[in-house]
Amino acid sequence: MKKLAGFTVFLCILTMLLVPVTVLAGTKASAKDPIRLGAIWDYAGPCYMLSESAVQGIKIAVDEINAKGGVIGRKLDLIVRDTEMKVDVGARETKDLILREKVNFLVGPCSSGVALAVQVVHAESKVLRVTCMANTEGQVVDKFTPYVTQVVPNTYMEGVAATRFMNKKYPAAKKFCTVAPDYEYGRREEAAFAEEIKKLVPDSEILYQAWPKPGEKDYTSFITAIMAQKPDAVHSSLFGGDLVAFTKQAAPYGFFEKIPFIALYDLPVFVALGADAPEGVMAFGRGCFFMDPNPKMMEFVDKYRKARGAYPDSWAVQAYDSVYLIKAAVEKAKSSDTEKVIKAMEGISLDSLRGKFTIRPLDHMGSVPCYQGIIAKDPKYPFKTWKDIVRVPGDQVWRSEEGVREVWKKTGVTR
Amino acid sequence: MSFDVLFNQFLSGIARGALLFLVASGLSLTFGVLRVLNFAHGSLYMLGAFLSYSIWKWLLIPVYGFYVATLLSALAIAGIGLLIEYTILRRLYARGWPEQLLATYALILIITDIVKWFWGGEFLSIPRPEPFTKAVFLFDFPFPSYNFFIIILGLVLVFFLWWLVYKTRLGDIIRAAAHDRDMVSALGIPIPWLFTSIFVLGAFIAGLSGAVTAPYGAVALGMDIEIIIECFAVVVIGGMGSLPGTLLGSFIVGQVYSFGIMYKPELALAFIFMVMAIVLIIRPWGIFGRPER
Amino acid sequence: MGYFREAGKIGMKANNMEIKTSWLKSSWWIILLIAAGIAAPRVISEFYLLILGEALIMSLFALSFNLLFGHMGQLPFGQAAFYGLGGYGIAMLLTKYQINFWLSFAAGIGLAALAGLIIGIFCVRLRGIYFSILTLAFGQLIFVIIYKWHDFTGGDDGIQGVFPPEFLKTPVSYYYFILLVFCLAAFILWRITNSPFGYILKAMRENSERTEFLGIPIARYQLVAFVISATFAGLAGALWAPFYRSVAPSTLMWIKSGEPVMATILGGAGLFFGPVLGTFIITFFHAYILGFTHFWPIIMGALILIVIFFLPGGVLGFIKEKLDNRKKKEQQS
Repeated sequence: MKKLAGFTVFLCILTMLLVPVTVLAGTKASAKDPIRLGAIWDYAGPCYMLSESAVQGIKIAVDEINAKGGVIGRKLDLIVRDTEMKVDVGARETKDLILREKVNFLVGPCSSGVALAVQVVHAESKVLRVTCMANTEGQVVDKFTPYVTQVVPNTYMEGVAATRFMNKKYPAAKKFCTVAPDYEYGRREEAAFAEEIKKLVPDSEILYQAWPKPGEKDYTSFITAIMAQKPDAVHSSLFGGDLVAFTKQAAPYGFFEKIPFIALYDLPVFVALGADAPEGVMAFGRGCFFMDPNPKMMEFVDKYRKARGAYPDSWAVQAYDSVYLIKAAVEKAKSSDTEKVIKAMEGISLDSLRGKFTIRPLDHMGSVPCYQGIIAKDPKYPFKTWKDIVRVPGDQVWRSEEGVREVWKKTGVTR
Repeated sequence: MSFDVLFNQFLSGIARGALLFLVASGLSLTFGVLRVLNFAHGSLYMLGAFLSYSIWKWLLIPVYGFYVATLLSALAIAGIGLLIEYTILRRLYARGWPEQLLATYALILIITDIVKWFWGGEFLSIPRPEPFTKAVFLFDFPFPSYNFFIIILGLVLVFFLWWLVYKTRLGDIIRAAAHDRDMVSALGIPIPWLFTSIFVLGAFIAGLSGAVTAPYGAVALGMDIEIIIECFAVVVIGGMGSLPGTLLGSFIVGQVYSFGIMYKPELALAFIFMVMAIVLIIRPWGIFGRPER
Repeated sequence: MGYFREAGKIGMKANNMEIKTSWLKSSWWIILLIAAGIAAPRVISEFYLLILGEALIMSLFALSFNLLFGHMGQLPFGQAAFYGLGGYGIAMLLTKYQINFWLSFAAGIGLAALAGLIIGIFCVRLRGIYFSILTLAFGQLIFVIIYKWHDFTGGDDGIQGVFPPEFLKTPVSYYYFILLVFCLAAFILWRITNSPFGYILKAMRENSERTEFLGIPIARYQLVAFVISATFAGLAGALWAPFYRSVAPSTLMWIKSGEPVMATILGGAGLFFGPVLGTFIITFFHAYILGFTHFWPIIMGALILIVIFFLPGGVLGFIKEKLDNRKKKEQQS
């Protein structure tokens, strides 16, 4: 019996050690407490690099703001959590940030799938999240909640803008193929492309749609299948490592010489491809420094290079903008109270790294710009960049308010 | 569908199959002799890819840099294989196969984080080496010459392994040990060193195939999980531990994928698992495998 | 019937060597733990309550796995499929067809059981590594189907908005629900493993040939065990979905199937509560570690290797061994 008691005590101690005892009653947040920013990102798979970039952008913004005295006299605290690009971990870590770390605002994540799951959690807990990377329209349109604001062009906007650009460059193109990673983001962008191209070219047809899985390394079979169709042009929403692999595998087939092609060619892809980046090919993106080299942006480039020793990509740029958006809204509301901040954020304009944009009150969608261009060598940098750059303000390509309400009728959002 | 289109899909399938064979042969060899299904084989493959990238970047030798980096990387991975076998696996031969399996599963976790630590989450890319940068033309259709390089490498490996297993004394010992470990040991042949050599060879093959994949696509995290699942499919279909089986399995998986993509791209992946499940149900030891255990 | 007893005797011999079935000895600390579980919401913060709930659900998952591993001696690597089907069953019925929560809950479990039956029929014909690989293949197949069939299952987005009924919506109330279900399920599993059926399973693990000679239809018993295991895995999954209000295909990947395996090895496969202890250690450690680094896998991998080499019976097995040694010494002196 003595042994058993000893064992029981041991077990209790073990349980106690693993479950820290904390008193439930919290202290009321004083006005001088720091404003806590929860960064929830996916450090896995294709999202790993993008998440790192984004967090770097956030860190620079936070440090800058704190150096100038913080927001309404309060410092910004940054807590970063990893979702492992898994929905269940993402939901759990979001709860961690909200309950244990008591964050005021959330920024992130990268994966659209994780974003939707995270959204359910923080919306229920009434915490505002700014999304600057996961861009599925689902966040602000289908599954709208007032607790989300989007500063990255959503899948509809990006798809439409890219389609219009491609159509301007190749107005005679009627037969198309698409290649997109088979998940939420890819499907949405190609749906937007399909819708828009039908509007621009009524007798267009989409001959074949390739749906490689995200993280696919071998595109050869897709490439030959596409080329077999002999399309006039190909629209793609491949990005990151997937686009790198696709480009390298398609080039020897003479793909880029034969077929007009557009995809998300941005900085990380150019750095990886080096000389392999196909010149003359169309590209779209969300705001790397070379897409919008305004004075504010170039200043950011210097800051970023000092901090990280690399050039900022669109992920860092948008993340930086998110923090400044939060700052602007909190300052306008003169408080960090979520409801007041949301009200202040609706209709607010931000002078961001990408120029000026406004948050539309109806769906909290930022009128953020979409960029397109042609890949070209650049004597200023050790990687290729774009020429013939086009900047499309978000309000030219987003769904109209009636359009949004129509979708809401279908998905049951009442606002 | 015209002939040249079908032929091209067929060739794509061959290229993919060749790549799979390169990786899967190491797995099959290890299983055939050691009876250990090395879950971490894909991780060694990934490590080989990353390592070859770094070596290539560091060497900066034009033209030959890639080949030197590939060889060095494969040797390094072989060394890591030696380390793994000596410190971990060897002590587990006496234990059951579940422990061996779980140890290799633990290795996946460890190696993934090692790669994450040293190379971060970046996706890296090596350009295709000379002289395989352009395409060759078959029936008026371009086919990347690098894919040919991979196919040829695959064939070389086939012949090397065939020669090793069927034409050398070591090969006789290998085949005997695969049948009856105790007997071979009783004949005075040091089984531990035999096992180590085979594992190291398997690791070398893994590292080599990883390095060869680097110019093919992108080198990124997650390569290990993807490839190991496909390798499982290959060895299951072809027969675990059988070399001709692995060859056939690679061919089948490559073609199923390639034509699956053409006709029903969303389900291409599912087809492979279906074939795998069907084989396991009808003939669990694979097409060329031997029924045992 | 005599055969039953014979097989049971083989099983019991194996049983006595490992699992202490003495009701009196075990009851004390079980009661204490249950009491701790009930008192928990008053003592710990909401966040840790969530972790505790997660640990309980995953423990159930691990227990279902160990029925096949520790008791039957097979290593299934596809249990996440049943876990995921349980979650998807309840999620889809609840959100797409607006069916009552309790019916959806039962349906999720039923779906997992059905899948267990269909898959089990094929898997139990194999042994050893082939069994493991086939379960892995089927697990991946189900994952790919759910992942790719996005019109029906929501694909990689998963399904959101899986809400429990009003009275279970608060974290504390849902936690109690989890605790209750866990205790009941664990009790049922415990009774199963200590029934004649359970002894036969053990006999099959120890010496399958002899058991077969006794006339026991091995495949049938294995199938029953497989279905039971799938059912409880599905139960865990059905508990999970309303907990975090969503499901996603990532819960069905083979990596997820590895989690109960690791938890069981860590805790100890030979003891009934081994998987529970292992799960608790991993879950809390994971939540703790993720607080300051994302290099969790290497820690987990190292832990597994350490356990394999130095603690072959798992943590709980080690503890029990130490206690038994002390008891032996007491008896000798």
